[in-house]
Parts: sequence; C-alpha cells; structure tokens
Amino acid sequence: MRDVYAIGVGITSFSRLDYPLTEIACYPALMAMKDCGIHKIDHVYVANMGASRLNRQTGLASAVVDSLSLTPAGAEAIENGPASGASAIKQGFMAVASGMNDVVMVIGAERMREVNNLDATDFVATLSHPLAEYIYGVTLPALAGMFTRLYMEKYGVTERHLAMVAVKNHANALLNPFAHLRQPITLAGILDSPEAMTNNPYVAEPLRFFDCCPVSDGGACIILACADVAKKLKKPLVRLAGVGQATDTLAVHERVSPTDLTAVKLSSQKAFRMAGREPSDVSVAELHDAFTILEIVESEEVGFFEKGAGHLALERGETQIGGRLPINTSGGLKAKGHPVGATGVGQAHEIVLQLRGEAGKRQVKNARVGFTCNFGGFGNNVVSLVFVRE
Amino acid sequence: MSVDLEKMLRPVDVSFPPFPAKFMTLADGQEMVVRQIGRDEVPDLLPYVEPLIHVERDFYDIVAVRVYAELLAYQRYRVQDEYVLVAQIDGALAAIVNGRRVNADVGMSFHTLALRRGLRIGAHAFAAKMEYHIDIMGQKEVLVVAESPIGFRRWMIEYQLEKRFEVPHELGGVPSYALTKEIFDRARGSLVVGRRPVPERLLAKAKAGILPPSDPPKPPADALAARRAKSDATAFQHEADQFAGLGKK
Amino acid sequence: MQREIYAYKCKKCGHLHYPYRMVCRECKENGYNEFEAVPLPHKGKILTFTRVHNLPAEFDVAILQLGIVELENGLRILGQLAMEHPKIGMAVEGKVEIVRCAEYEKNYGMVFYEA
Repeated sequence: MRDVYAIGVGITSFSRLDYPLTEIACYPALMAMKDCGIHKIDHVYVANMGASRLNRQTGLASAVVDSLSLTPAGAEAIENGPASGASAIKQGFMAVASGMNDVVMVIGAERMREVNNLDATDFVATLSHPLAEYIYGVTLPALAGMFTRLYMEKYGVTERHLAMVAVKNHANALLNPFAHLRQPITLAGILDSPEAMTNNPYVAEPLRFFDCCPVSDGGACIILACADVAKKLKKPLVRLAGVGQATDTLAVHERVSPTDLTAVKLSSQKAFRMAGREPSDVSVAELHDAFTILEIVESEEVGFFEKGAGHLALERGETQIGGRLPINTSGGLKAKGHPVGATGVGQAHEIVLQLRGEAGKRQVKNARVGFTCNFGGFGNNVVSLVFVRE
Repeated sequence: MSVDLEKMLRPVDVSFPPFPAKFMTLADGQEMVVRQIGRDEVPDLLPYVEPLIHVERDFYDIVAVRVYAELLAYQRYRVQDEYVLVAQIDGALAAIVNGRRVNADVGMSFHTLALRRGLRIGAHAFAAKMEYHIDIMGQKEVLVVAESPIGFRRWMIEYQLEKRFEVPHELGGVPSYALTKEIFDRARGSLVVGRRPVPERLLAKAKAGILPPSDPPKPPADALAARRAKSDATAFQHEADQFAGLGKK
Repeated sequence: MQREIYAYKCKKCGHLHYPYRMVCRECKENGYNEFEAVPLPHKGKILTFTRVHNLPAEFDVAILQLGIVELENGLRILGQLAMEHPKIGMAVEGKVEIVRCAEYEKNYGMVFYEA
C-alpha cells in the first residue's frame, strides 16, 4: 500500500445554512482545492446520510461532481449513518493507497434543517433496529440514556461529569469560528442553580439538553493524495497513517456487554496497528460526542484512559486544551455541531489543522499524532483514523 | 367634547395584582430579571420589536407584528386589562410576554417573544406568565394557542393542555387550549422557576432602562445576498470573499 | 388471542436469538434462515431504563418510558415500561400490546408491568 497524505482541507460553518445541500458540499471542496492549489481530482466521495430522505436528492455525488465541474471523474455517495464521514475517508484512502488514484476528494455534507426537529429526530431514530427498537419509539438519545444510566451505576460517572464535558466543549467552540454553538455555558447555569431544570431539561433521562449535540447543517472536505503529489506542496506533511473499522450488533440490547463499546475498541486498535502507533502517542483527538457520555467512554475504549476512569481524567482537566491529551478542541459534536454525514470529515479537518499548526487559538503545542473516532448508529459501526505529522 | 369621546373609547381596567419581579440563573451563568412594565416603558420596547417584523423565519414576523400591535394598544388604552412582562439580562431585553385578564377565573395568554436563542429564555418567560395567571391572579385557567410548531410541542404536548376548542382564542379566533390550575399544580416543578425577591442591584439595573437585545434575530441586510448568506455568518462570508478571485485567471 | 414475540433458535446448534437474523451468530452454519420460532418468556428484570421527553412527531404523549429487560432465559429485550417508577433490577412481567400507531399501521411490542 502506498502512503496517503492529506493535502487540502475546507469547511463551512456548522449551523443553519440556507443554501441547498449540493452547495453545502461544494463550498468546502472549493476551499480545499484552493488550500492545496490542486484542481485536478481523480475521484470524489461524498459522505451523507439524509439526502434522499430529508432533501429529496438521490445520487448526491453525481450532482456534486457536476456542480464542481470535475466531470468525468468518478463519484459515489457513502452512507454509514453518522460514521459516513470517516467511512468516505477510508474509501478515499484505499483508492490512493492501492495505486488506483493519485488525488481523491472526500466531502462530507448534510442539510438536516430542511426539516423540523421532530422529523430530524425520527430520521436519526431510523438507525435503530426496525422491529426490536424503532417501533417502540426509540430515539438515539433514548439509547444513549439507557447506556448512560448503566455506566453511572457501574463506574460512578455523575451528571456533573457529563456537564463538565459540555462546558469544556462549549468553551473550545468559542475559539472555533466555524462552530455551531458559540455560547458559553457554566456548571452553575446548567446544573447547580435552582433554575437548572429549566435551563437544562431532561431529554432522555439521565441525559439532559446540554448533553446532546444540536441538529446542524454543514460541509467539510479533505483532499487525499499520494506522496509524489504531496511532497511538491509547500505545506507541512500530514499523513493518514492508520484506518480501522469494526461493527457490532444492531440492537443495542444484544451487545455482549451492555457497558462496552467494543466496535470503538476494535476499530481503534486496527487503526493504531496500521499506523504503527500507540494510544499514548496521541497529541490531540476528536472523539464522537453526540452525547457527552460518549466522549468519556470512547476515551477509555480507544486506550487513552483505563476503562471506567475516563471521567476522572476529565475531572483532572487532562482533556482540556493545554491538558495532557486535549479532546475535541474544535468543540466536538456537542458545540461544533453534528451535520451527520459531514461530521467524520469535520473531525479530520480539525486534526489536519492541529498537525499543521494552523489551529489558531485552539492549537495544541507540538501536535504530532492525531486521532479521530467516528461513531455510527449507536456504536454498531465505528471508523477510527490516525494521522501523523511527518 | 373630545374628552368625553376619549372616555368612551378608553376601557376601564379592573384592578388586579401586579407581577412581583423574579430572577433566574441562565445556562451561561448570567442572571435574568423578569418584571412587569407599565405603559410608560412601552415606547422603549417598540424599536426592538419592529425589526423582527421583517425576519421571515421561525414565525418571528407574525409574532413580532402582533406583539407590536398589542404593545401599542396597551400603551394607547385600547385594550382591556392587558399586562406586559419583560425579561432582561444585564438590562438588555431578552424576552417579552403578554396576555390579558379576561375575568376573575380566566386569563388569555397572548405571546412569548424571545429575542435570544440557545438559553431557554422562552421557557422561563412562558413559565412566568403562567405563574402570573394561576398563582398571582388566582385564576382557574389560561387560554393558550401556538403560532409555531415548536410552541405547540413545547406547550400543548409537553404540558398536556386541555382542549377548549369551543372557545375561540383572541389571537385569530382559533380553537383554544387551556392550562388549568390542575395542570399547573402538577407541572409546578417546571412552571414555577426563578427566585424572589430580586437582589437590589439586579433590579435597579433592570429598571434603569431597557437596553437593546444582545443578539436578536436579524433580517437580511441585502435581499439578494440573503438567499445565500442569511444564516451562515462566518465561513461563507469569509470564504466567499476569497472565492471572488477564483476562476478569473 | 394472545400475541407473542418470538426468539429464534438455530436448528444446528440451538443458540437463541432475539431479534431475528438470517445467520446464526454462534455457529454461523445453520444453512441460512433455519431457525425455530420460540415465544419469548414474559418475566424478567430491568437492566436499564430511560424516560424519553423528546419524541418523534407521531407520539402525542409527553413522556415515554423505555427499558432493556433481561428475561428469564437470559435473552434481553427492549420494551416500553408501564410502571410509574422503574428501577434497575425491578422484577417485571410483559404483555404484547400496541406500542406505536403510525397512520393505519399498528405496531405490537412488549410492554412491561411491575411483577
């Protein structure tokens, strides 16, 4: 397999965008091409989950490749629920690593706010098992809520720890001009004050309003290329060194251990093995915090902290910018936003900026190894990526 | 002669208890004061409501134009027994709620207009209004309708309001829902929020004047660009400027 | 007529599955789709639960209680919880009832009551 480099990145704000989905996909692509100065693309992958259901658009990649005038390059849309982004990056990686293509563009784009919140909730709920979960009125927050309750019972994680994740990520997002929620929050406001229940009502107990990510629109793009192309550019070299994916049972109640996210563990192990790195080598990570509990659990499953001790590291401030292992410097899904198909590419965008030294006020000093975890469904399909600075 | 005409046109308000000011801590740690205003402060509010008449999303336009009418009618003595509550954060206007006392037992809720998003200010303001009718005025029920689906979800479904469809609501004559004393008592935990009395310095700051809202919904600056840039305040604008040079080679 | 919810027993190795899948998870060798339908037991204990406040559009109740129940035979099932105060470990008994009405379609599933 050849080495694969990330040579160009682009992103829109993750918020509420009023232009159509195809344009949401195109703007970051234009930015990424401008970033690397390369306009000749061999293949385009577009990560997206809702185009056919929310936006009445099928064959999204064909629409995008035409709008960008990149025809006759090949193009496909990749759908892997919330892990579409990293899955598309994985496809792009394989295209370059195999020698089939030299320069591949991977875009993630989603326009969720074309429908109202109730329909968006229902749309995301279709990720669950149709007969054993969906018909009961299960929503993703409901699955996360049940998981959280068990985790609290077993490991002593409290609502306070969850709130701390939200406060940290909101603070990080204030430093990120592209983030959806640029609104500081305090523990006093969301947990301690007498009005906390109105400020932060339950969504699916014990998860509350500020434990769940917003519904966002947005797009991000990363351009991958072989060494010959990458080394000609005048930017710091960032290599996509490791890619890993793993799956688990669809129905959450069928997981072997109800407090484990095994697919997270297996996918990260594969990615680290391919990259020849250990979790302890990681300088900065973007973990999929669609719910605050997930940041804590993923940080354990991928090997940053002992199982059941992630919340203690959070307490000690280790995961803040400036801490031992900053997590979600971009604001994470919680504050940066979660346009479902775009998220995985957005995570990669942040890591590439960090490794290049271009993350501005969010910059982690001497970032050499970056890690992302893109969590599909409720942990039944997870893709992990390891990037290194050369 | 003109004095007599005005006397005929002007309704005589029934006396009902004033709303005692309260305060609450918001999600971002700031404190918000909810207090009742009189006719003399209405002219201070109108300039903040007017721009929202031109924000054509999330029903801001229709709510704002109706609130404007209700405020003006209150100030000029052309509505019976209306009240207006305002929510302020450090003096800056955050929400306006209003309604009417129909009779000793029944209240008519008009509007809840939140001028800042993301801090559940609308929820606090709505709760204050319900508390005013049921606990402070001592009424048996409040008639409520919603103009937007979000309002419907938050009030009708969440509080399981009773259908009072035989009663046309004063907002457009549409079938009403009722928040009864029974429903209020059951939902007391989420409907009676905030604390009294308001600390002296907070209340003084609020009473000193109603300052402009800090981050209100904005109408588009330019009708054409609005289709593109209405809601993407950062990346699009910034990058769009950079794109202006692309393709000109 | 009492409706049932079925588990699926692999005809080769006897492993029980809920919900249905095409290939046995244990032996992977049952020649695809060779399962015997076995009704699920109704009694079990609550493993975990949640009270959902934000529901998709069709539900006109304000709150829905959902839980994962560990049944007597070791299988787990997700169901709606009808008791007022669910607790982890509570003994429950399930009935198959309508859990969701979408337009003209009625969906049946397990609703658990305190045993």
